[in-house]
Amino acid sequence: MTASMLEAKNLTVESRLADGCRLPVLSGISFALETGKVLGLVGESGAGKSMLGRTIAQLLPPGFSVSAGSLSFAGRDLVRMGAQARRQLLGREIAFIPQEPLGALNPVMTIGAQFGEHLSRLGIRAEKRRRDEAQVLLEAVHLPRAVQLLRQYPHELSGGMCQRVLIAMAFASRPKLVIADEPTTALDATIQARIIGLMGEMRDAYGAALVFITHDLRLAAKFCDEVMVLYAGRAVEKGETRDLLSAPLHPYTRCLQLAVPSLSAPDRDLFTLPGEMPGLARLAGLHGCRFARRCPNVGEICRNEEPKLSPVAPKREAACFRTEMTLDIKVPNQGIPAQPKLASPLLLVEALEKRYRSRRGLLARTELAAVDGVSFTVSENEFVGVVGESGSGKSTLAKLIIGLETPSSGRIELGGHDASDRSENARRRRLESAQMVFQDPQSALNPRRRVASIVTQVLEAAAPRLPASARQLRAEELLAEVGLSAELGARYPSQLSGGQKQRVNIARALCATPKLLIADEIVSGLDVSVQAQLIALLRRLRRELSFALLLISHDLAVVRKLCERVLVMWRGKIVEQGVTAEVFARPRHPYTRELIAAVPGE
Amino acid sequence: MIVQVLGLFARRLLVAIPILFVVSALVFVVLRVLPVDPAAMSMPPNATKAEIEMKRQEMGLDRPLPEQYAIWLDKTVKGDLGSSIHFRRAVSSLIAETLPATVELALLAMLIAAALGFAGGLLLFHLRGTWRGEAADLGSTVLMSAPDFLWGLLFILAFGVLWPLLPFTGRLASSFARPVHTGFLLLDTLIEGRPDMFLDVVKHMLLPATALGLAFSVPIMRVLRSSLYEIDHADYIRQARLRGVSEGRILLRHALKNAVLPTLTLMGVQFGFLFGGTLLIEVIYSYPGLGNLMVDAVRNADLPIIQAVALAYAAVVLIINMIVDGLYLVLNPRLRTV
Repeated sequence: MTASMLEAKNLTVESRLADGCRLPVLSGISFALETGKVLGLVGESGAGKSMLGRTIAQLLPPGFSVSAGSLSFAGRDLVRMGAQARRQLLGREIAFIPQEPLGALNPVMTIGAQFGEHLSRLGIRAEKRRRDEAQVLLEAVHLPRAVQLLRQYPHELSGGMCQRVLIAMAFASRPKLVIADEPTTALDATIQARIIGLMGEMRDAYGAALVFITHDLRLAAKFCDEVMVLYAGRAVEKGETRDLLSAPLHPYTRCLQLAVPSLSAPDRDLFTLPGEMPGLARLAGLHGCRFARRCPNVGEICRNEEPKLSPVAPKREAACFRTEMTLDIKVPNQGIPAQPKLASPLLLVEALEKRYRSRRGLLARTELAAVDGVSFTVSENEFVGVVGESGSGKSTLAKLIIGLETPSSGRIELGGHDASDRSENARRRRLESAQMVFQDPQSALNPRRRVASIVTQVLEAAAPRLPASARQLRAEELLAEVGLSAELGARYPSQLSGGQKQRVNIARALCATPKLLIADEIVSGLDVSVQAQLIALLRRLRRELSFALLLISHDLAVVRKLCERVLVMWRGKIVEQGVTAEVFARPRHPYTRELIAAVPGE
Repeated sequence: MIVQVLGLFARRLLVAIPILFVVSALVFVVLRVLPVDPAAMSMPPNATKAEIEMKRQEMGLDRPLPEQYAIWLDKTVKGDLGSSIHFRRAVSSLIAETLPATVELALLAMLIAAALGFAGGLLLFHLRGTWRGEAADLGSTVLMSAPDFLWGLLFILAFGVLWPLLPFTGRLASSFARPVHTGFLLLDTLIEGRPDMFLDVVKHMLLPATALGLAFSVPIMRVLRSSLYEIDHADYIRQARLRGVSEGRILLRHALKNAVLPTLTLMGVQFGFLFGGTLLIEVIYSYPGLGNLMVDAVRNADLPIIQAVALAYAAVVLIINMIVDGLYLVLNPRLRTV
């Protein structure tokens, strides 16, 4: 029998609310993780998956505490361990790989200073030996020019490089346990694939047990030996990865699977889970199964009794009364929408260029072409995707079209008008025919305005004399269009969930009934179920309102799901364009092939 | 890095020239509009109108204003600031005597403000969320709400009269022969190799500098506290904790380095106000600096001095701001790569 490196028994973490009421954010979690194995914790945001890492480090948010159960590391009790003893473990025997690599390194200290600090804590005193050791470790994570790198600051590196540095630091002490909390979420798909590969290499080389926290089932499938699916603080399903994902037993796992668009499987509709995971505040009054409200297989018993996680098959556990029905869940076939008839071109981009100057030192200047000679068209009512890694120029392209940036050269024609006209009138006209939805739903909404006023913001300039009642009416109409109830109009953005915020952003863009919608990564960073909801929303809106979409995304599967045509951008140039299905099935450019190869689960 | 700092200095000095132009022109015009007659002030009270008129012509005050300014500018650029009407000495030598005294005082005051501010900010951060923290916060408000001249008077009363610990007039005890090198006494006494004299100079400056710096320490305290608080939630601080770095090291090596940046910006702004604040404090402590010179000059409508002092104030503030920005560039690597 091998001893478990990390073992949880009935672990329960509670949050004490202001009114003294206690709510479990993690309840009855049990697992045993052995050396050399990877356990995946999968769930949407708010499922409680980050609480485990925080419990280990005892960095729970204020008011949160372990109220029952145990958590032990190599036989030592992590719950009742003193702060000093815990600090001795952290960074030595237990290492963490963070979610936001760029933010996780101190911006005013060089990589070398931070690496050196860690190594000196590990007992390497001599400066020279620290430098040598750091170099060896950086080379192990495939970072070239380690000597130079150690002198650089975090902002001079890319996110992927920062994550490699952090992985090198995490494995420097040859830890027995590594917790990786969404380590690739902030990175591009191609970088993501390399980082996952690298973590596997490091695990094999140093033999650690790994906890991999992710919201992405496909990633978990690729990397984990065992997977535990969390929903609203409970484990709903547990098992060996291959078994679990090939035949999920809990309806939530099945629904998540069906909500993820695929790049290669035959085109099917995405499963859209209705509603949202109950938040902390709503957990208190909940009876029965926590998933019951959204479950397609819900029965009488589910509403009254809470199912326990119990063995259903060899090495398989699920918390569901009706596991035998799970695999019958199918996507209700809404029918693949007929290919819309493509009318005259709406957007015409020709030999578009945007160059940035950067200053180095006193005199030397370098020029960088963010968009380098790009030409394409978008027809009326056509959905076109733009894919590529960060830095490929896709966001700059969007900004040029909407007029947030001025082209260095080239032509943009929108609805027959020259869009490079900088006059105020031309700008107004452009915004009447094109609108943009931004990536971060949070920061794109003015926190001091109510939702109804945000979605009808364009009317302030377009129809300044409009009576308040008419504006309110329009707001309600828009909210209904994006599937939000009218009462949300009176709320502030901070009172909405991530998915709701993005719907508000879409509603605001639709207010001017634009002919072209430019969407910059509007579904990345959102949970898969919310993502599926938004994809369905865009498809419905297209039927009802008829507009063209330029969707900028690094997620090829999302683009395949939504867009007829795709442009592949690389270093400011379009390297390949064509009908989406064809480009993804028979990519011609090596870069497109690389992008496709990086998509997990294909 | 050095290249970038020097580049910044070069750009700043170029900008400083037009700024000084504008300041000097402004002061020139304002002074001529004021109903004072330097010619009359410089003559004995029983002088006749004709005599005063002759003096006026001799001083060039009868010429048109632009011409007067042109003459003044021409001489100033050549290093001749004219001579004082009242003291009957070259203005440049008066400035050379008093400017270092005031700069020295202001720098020490800023140093005291920064020391108190940093200590207080770290303390407030350490005590956050406790009743002691609340109490310390309230106490700091009291420090800030009393104006510097009030502190000045209180200190004289407390540490000069009731409990005579420190001297409160002048720059140096009269028993010492004043060394003359740079005009900065702290520096000059060290050049002479006289630690006893150095200590005496510090003692003379301690009360006025503390009175001046006290009120400025509180905003530094507050800004440092709140930026430390914000940085405490940053990802890189959490990551350092997860690496097992000790709390003390996290605060001093990781958080403080970042928290210093907004504080530094604040101190750059504060210095302008603080330098202006020396005027009252110098008068209270009979400190022979720029402030006292200015007060004498205004009393005697000594236009050449007023003009030169105003220009000196502006130049010092510009230079200090330039140094602060240079320091910012050194401490914040993100600004160095464009």
